[in-house]
Amino acid sequence: MRCHEAKKLLEREGGREGLSIEDEALARHLAVCDRCSQAMKVIRLTSEILGALREEIEPGPSFYPHLRERLATSGVGGAGSIFQAWGLARRLVPALALGVLLLVGVTIPLGGFRVPLPVRVGQSTEFHAFSLEELNLPAAVERPTQDQMLAFVLMQDEVRGAGSEVRGSR
Amino acid sequence: MNDTTKNHEPAEESGEQLRTEARLIQQAQEGDQRAFEALLRLHDRRVLALIGSFIRRRQDVEDLAQDVFLKAYLALGRFRPGASFAPWLNRIAVNTCYDHLRKVRRRPETALDDLAGNEKAYLSAGGGSDDRVAARDLAERILATLPPKDRLAITLREVQGLEIAEIAHALGCTRPAAKVRLFRARRAMQATLQRMIRQEEQMGNRSRRSEQNEVS
Repeated sequence: MRCHEAKKLLEREGGREGLSIEDEALARHLAVCDRCSQAMKVIRLTSEILGALREEIEPGPSFYPHLRERLATSGVGGAGSIFQAWGLARRLVPALALGVLLLVGVTIPLGGFRVPLPVRVGQSTEFHAFSLEELNLPAAVERPTQDQMLAFVLMQDEVRGAGSEVRGSR
Repeated sequence: MNDTTKNHEPAEESGEQLRTEARLIQQAQEGDQRAFEALLRLHDRRVLALIGSFIRRRQDVEDLAQDVFLKAYLALGRFRPGASFAPWLNRIAVNTCYDHLRKVRRRPETALDDLAGNEKAYLSAGGGSDDRVAARDLAERILATLPPKDRLAITLREVQGLEIAEIAHALGCTRPAAKVRLFRARRAMQATLQRMIRQEEQMGNRSRRSEQNEVS
């Protein structure tokens, strides 16, 4: 048996007293390997000192009277009162969250959360192609009328058309 | 494993005991304090033993056990009927112990010089002696150097004899995480003991040499 095999067995054994017959090979190895026998000693010692922590403790004579006092002063009439309600409330929180998620899930496909467009087509609202602020014009300049704006757009189209004709003739 | 612990393991609980327990739980949930006390009397030794494996002073053990029972009383409304009471109470006890251990300052490392005379004697004898106090002191000294959750894991396994699944449930972690904590705690304890034994041997060798020098 090699040290790593012995180590595995030792860890499995957990330092139990008295090796079983199947572990004869381990016993032989421990007899010749100082390192592994030292490891075995440590494993056994660990189990032994932890075992010393096992202790049967009985409640003292004042244990239950004191507990009764504490239960009485805990402000709870019974385990099934306010704390039961709190338990119910805690259970309701996920249900409420689920309800909100469902509501959102249903509302979005129906268009409930659609962001309104800045320009409502089909309404009598004026369509502002540009604003005075955007053009950085002095406030004294009058706002162009709709006809003026249309004329400006048509003029721009004509200029663009003329440009393309010139390019085409070239 | 401790016999008392064994008797209270859920798998070994008799049908009659389970029925009694279920009835007491129901009565306690309806606000019957006497039923709650009767329920606690079925589990008090196991809880006290569990806390006692972390804390030495008897008064502190009882105080902490009272905290556990009070918490259980306040949380009883949330206890699911039909579930096993012992693991549920165990978890409350473990959480309470964890909170307590977190408050207690961890020892950075334990050296041989820190040990009391009886602990040194126990160590040099390689254990096996009847000095339970020394063994317990040594265990507590080494356990105090571990992180609280690792300490809980190894104590629940080696002292209370819980299975990995039960430890994972009590610590509120997965089984692999519980296994890792257990492995780490065991390794750390073994390393500390190994170091102490080596120091002890070195000191023994030194004293023998000095004795030889004096004789010569």
